Amino acid sequence: MVLGEVSAFSQTIGCVITLYYLLVKNGTNKTMMIHVFLYGSLARFGGKRYVAQLDVELKPDSGKMELLAQIGIPKEERGYLFINAVLCEVPGMESGSNEPLNDGDHVGIFSVDRLWPYQYRDGIRMSDGLMKALAGRDAMHHSYN
Amino acid sequence: MAKKILRINMSTLKASYESMPEKWARWAGRGLTSAITCDEVDPLCHPLGPNNKLVIAPGWVTGTPAAPSSGRTSFGGKSPLTGGIKESNAGGLSGQMIAKLGLAAIIVEGTPAQGKWYTLVVSKDGVKFEDAVNLVGKGMYEVDEILWEKYPKTAVIGIGQAGEMKLSNAGISVNDPENKPGRYAGRGGMGAVMGARGVKAMVIVDAGGPGVGIENMDLFKQGRKKLTESIQEHGLTKKGGALNSFGTAVLVNILNEAGGLPTRNFSAGQFEGAIKISGEAIAEVCEKRGGEGTMGHGCHPGCIIKCSNIYPDAEGKALTSCIEYESTWSLGANCGIDNLEFVAQMNRACNDVGVDTIEAGNAIAVAMEGGLLPFGDAEGALKTFDEIRKGTPLGRILGQGVEATAKAFGVSRVPVVKHQSMPAYEPRAVKGIGVTYATTPMGADHTAGYTICPEILGVSGKVDPLSDEGKAEASLTFQAATAFIDSTGYCLFIAFPILDIAKGWEGMAESVAGVTGMNVTGADVVPLGKEILKMERLFNERAGFTAEDDRPPEFMLNEALPPHNVKWTITNSQLDSVFAWVHDGQPA
Repeated sequence: MVLGEVSAFSQTIGCVITLYYLLVKNGTNKTMMIHVFLYGSLARFGGKRYVAQLDVELKPDSGKMELLAQIGIPKEERGYLFINAVLCEVPGMESGSNEPLNDGDHVGIFSVDRLWPYQYRDGIRMSDGLMKALAGRDAMHHSYN
Repeated sequence: MAKKILRINMSTLKASYESMPEKWARWAGRGLTSAITCDEVDPLCHPLGPNNKLVIAPGWVTGTPAAPSSGRTSFGGKSPLTGGIKESNAGGLSGQMIAKLGLAAIIVEGTPAQGKWYTLVVSKDGVKFEDAVNLVGKGMYEVDEILWEKYPKTAVIGIGQAGEMKLSNAGISVNDPENKPGRYAGRGGMGAVMGARGVKAMVIVDAGGPGVGIENMDLFKQGRKKLTESIQEHGLTKKGGALNSFGTAVLVNILNEAGGLPTRNFSAGQFEGAIKISGEAIAEVCEKRGGEGTMGHGCHPGCIIKCSNIYPDAEGKALTSCIEYESTWSLGANCGIDNLEFVAQMNRACNDVGVDTIEAGNAIAVAMEGGLLPFGDAEGALKTFDEIRKGTPLGRILGQGVEATAKAFGVSRVPVVKHQSMPAYEPRAVKGIGVTYATTPMGADHTAGYTICPEILGVSGKVDPLSDEGKAEASLTFQAATAFIDSTGYCLFIAFPILDIAKGWEGMAESVAGVTGMNVTGADVVPLGKEILKMERLFNERAGFTAEDDRPPEFMLNEALPPHNVKWTITNSQLDSVFAWVHDGQPA
């Protein structure tokens, strides 16, 4: 390898390392912002009485559970939970999975007293985790408490 | 004591009482209006012509002491909107008072001399035919007030200007305990059928009536207790529960989050202004303004769910009651309107002029798409009700409903089944309700298929929510059970607790058995409901309906609905399987 080739090789390695830090390392260090809507009594976690909107900053690779923990919503108060219009939880039944979140996601969480009659949600889009949870029991109910 | 049929002939201005014929003896509510319509109305008759009839019937338990939330009245006949059979039911004061007069049904038939309008006063002493010249041209708020001055504390059934013009979206109003209109048999244009009979209003005076006979009081009380307890225990229906606190509009934010809230004439499944027109927003206004505004309002005596609301104006005076989920959706999200004040005023206008809020909002949305107004133009939308009230050509078009409006404005996105517009659940996103929309004899109707306890219905209860398989079978059982509940006189919302609480289901059946003496158990609910559905399907077939009428609107097969970008996926063969049993699997 001639000197010129070594120099070119070094420059290439340097670029790769720089790019890695710029695109990957720095990127993963950035936080992500989740747009959260809280309905019913849960609105108090956003300082409101009926509906609250708040932006929640989370570490990268966070999921639904980290979001809920950060807001501080007790499990027994949670009802329907949506991530980008996909139903992930129903009152009285957790999906058991920690659905991943991405920067800019929209999450809607209802208090446990908000019920949604079965016939008006039959066929709605749901997360894989919730589908598995529902498959293990009678699905056709308004409430699972 | 045996119930009677009251037959009112508007051609001769005579009324007569008939014994209940054996063929109708086991029916009440929807079952009875459909049975009488099938037996006495030519399916091929013009809905506004002399051969159609208006049949009014309380349910089995309506008028009995303390049967919870049981004040429904069914209105039936041939629909000017769908061209098929129609049963549309309402709360308010009428059901209990008709039942307490010992009447199983009132049949209004014939046509009076041209241009004559009447108020029918029905009491234990018979029927008085009063000239309604003082009421003609008036909206229902004024009609209710005028009639209570002369007949206080009575039930008032009436039509607004839309019914007088015999518009296909005209509903029938029943007054609530505060004597306000707002309890509507809204769907299907039954107000036009009443108008075609020359009846502007009916006053029901129950004083001195014989009351409702109860064959087995112990069984009735036992059933009533079980049902009452289940309503009081369930999260949706108990005091302080979702319906009592926020009304049916509690669903606005939920359907919006799910991507199933039809928006801007069914072009999207989410509305950015949903929060502003939701049940939570209505509750907030009631709380801030106070006065006569309230949530947890009951639409008839004896209701223990109390899902209604009274929306107050800025001074706290009652502006309108009730802003339902379907109303705030149709007049709000589906028109791109996020101003609750205008939604409330349009709701009042619907109650006054006498049109169904679902069809009215959908018609405005279609007109908006056709260029009459921009989406979101709340002031312009409100003014359309003045057009209907005055009977202008535009008002008459809008008052005919969605299909006529779409034709007038050259719109091809027409969200109807059997000529009736869809309610507030997008069937591309909520697939199960789509099967019911498509196949119910009533035309697209969200109340035609309520979920009832799956174990009792004989379906698994483990229906895969994302699979199309099984939805046809489930829809049939839901429709059959709903036809039964529509015959009981109970509010359909008892379906919520009786799905989740077993004793509620038993209680419903036992209370019906106790009143009627019929051997009705939970196992009989679906078979009896299927009998009602079969009558209705056969009427529609004779009226010219075919399998092609059990189809979703074409655009739903071609246009993907955001945010999920889903199209209609239920096959025609699945739809045809819902009612294949009517002819033993053979073509009609």
